[in-house]
Amino acid sequence: MDARFSELLTPFLKFLGEQEITPDASLRELGLDSMQAIELLFAIEDTFGVTLPDDDMNDTTFATAGSLWTVISAAIDAQGAADGTRVTAA
Amino acid sequence: MSAAAHATTPPAAPVAPLTAASLAQRTDQVAAVAAEHLARTDRDASFPVEALAEMRRTGLLGLLVPASHGGLGGTTEDVVTTSIALGRTDMSVAMIFAMHCQQVAALVRYGNQRLRDELLPEIAAGRVYLASVTTEAGKGGHLLSSESALTARDDELLIDRFAPIVTGGEYADGFLVTMQSPAPASPNQVSLVYAHRDQLTVERSGDWQPLGMRASHSVALRLTGTVPAHHVVGEHGDFRTIVTTVFAPMAHLGWSACWLGTAAGALSRVVKLLRGPQSRGRVNLDSELLLTRLSQARQRIETVHALLAHTQQVVATTDDLSVPRVQLLLNSLKITAAEECHQAVDGLIDAVGMRHGYLKDSPTRLEHSLRDLRSAALNYSNDRLHLVDGKLALLDAEVRLA
Repeated sequence: MDARFSELLTPFLKFLGEQEITPDASLRELGLDSMQAIELLFAIEDTFGVTLPDDDMNDTTFATAGSLWTVISAAIDAQGAADGTRVTAA
Repeated sequence: MSAAAHATTPPAAPVAPLTAASLAQRTDQVAAVAAEHLARTDRDASFPVEALAEMRRTGLLGLLVPASHGGLGGTTEDVVTTSIALGRTDMSVAMIFAMHCQQVAALVRYGNQRLRDELLPEIAAGRVYLASVTTEAGKGGHLLSSESALTARDDELLIDRFAPIVTGGEYADGFLVTMQSPAPASPNQVSLVYAHRDQLTVERSGDWQPLGMRASHSVALRLTGTVPAHHVVGEHGDFRTIVTTVFAPMAHLGWSACWLGTAAGALSRVVKLLRGPQSRGRVNLDSELLLTRLSQARQRIETVHALLAHTQQVVATTDDLSVPRVQLLLNSLKITAAEECHQAVDGLIDAVGMRHGYLKDSPTRLEHSLRDLRSAALNYSNDRLHLVDGKLALLDAEVRLA
């Protein structure tokens, strides 16, 4: 996962405390509220310049930090392929 | 705790393969008993113990229990059909049935093998009526957080829980209770736990004197006790999955069915009154105002029926119910059914006027139906659902309809 990703997620996780965000961290348990989903999408767009596909707006995507990052990475790759430039999502 | 709660448990009827006719017959039997007692249960705000006993006797309490566990092996569609039918007679009885079925659906799908083997045959035999304990002071009907934490000790779970509204709680044989998971990382880790009545101390507080839904007897309870560890339903902390896949769809389909039945029953009684011999020559059936109001009531009922049938179909055929378009459909069903069914009956009161619209002793029972249906918008508040739907609408820029 990208350091920018952890940084953008942190404000949404009111129960995170001093813990580090790991890929298997449950976003719901850490305090992500479905009412904040649109704000989270804006943060993702602003940070990575990608829009997540509508088909990925489901509980599976938002289950863990890792599952969300997988979807973001795919969107970054897809956009890189479309632009003809390769952006590697670490 | 009154002795009456446990006094009426005759043996369940033998289980035959479920057909539409046999389901309708069982439903008719329950509706007949409900009809016999509804004036009193409404007047006294008392639980319909006779109708519950008939649900036990006819096997309807085990409608969703698979035949392999001795139940009728019914489907969500059967729950909807039955809830509509019972709602035509008594909305409280219908809601008691629909909410019990919601609990059973969660147990069938998420109970572990041991709990299923212990409990499902008891439900099928009519010995266990389940109440839902999800409300909590200060959070409204919000399902996905809880302030009361379960304590795990050896192989047991300690329950200590206050709930301001538990429909049928004084008469339930078992409870499905939401609580914070043991040692939670956050209040968002909620678990669902089954507790049998004899595993709990059940203390009631306060009185039950509502506007409508008076027979639902939805009292405040404090539950304390200890249950075995295998009584957790689904994974600890993962109640959310149960809500998305079972609780929310079953609640919105089941409630809407009860409300639709109540409105349809009201219209039916009005039409029968208008066509009855006592109205001959006294009611002008060419009145454009009357015809328009009847049409409008029917239109509202048709709208809810169509939306209910469509939503039921989507729920039955969609793998992932968490996507915005499906959530929006489920919430729209609940909001629309609550509004339209209430307004249908309200309009019928205008259609027939003071005598048959407003007085308690009219055979139309519009006064009773209207009071009951007033609860629909509040029973998981429409206002709250609109806020959720507004956010969900923003997530679906293409407006793709389920």
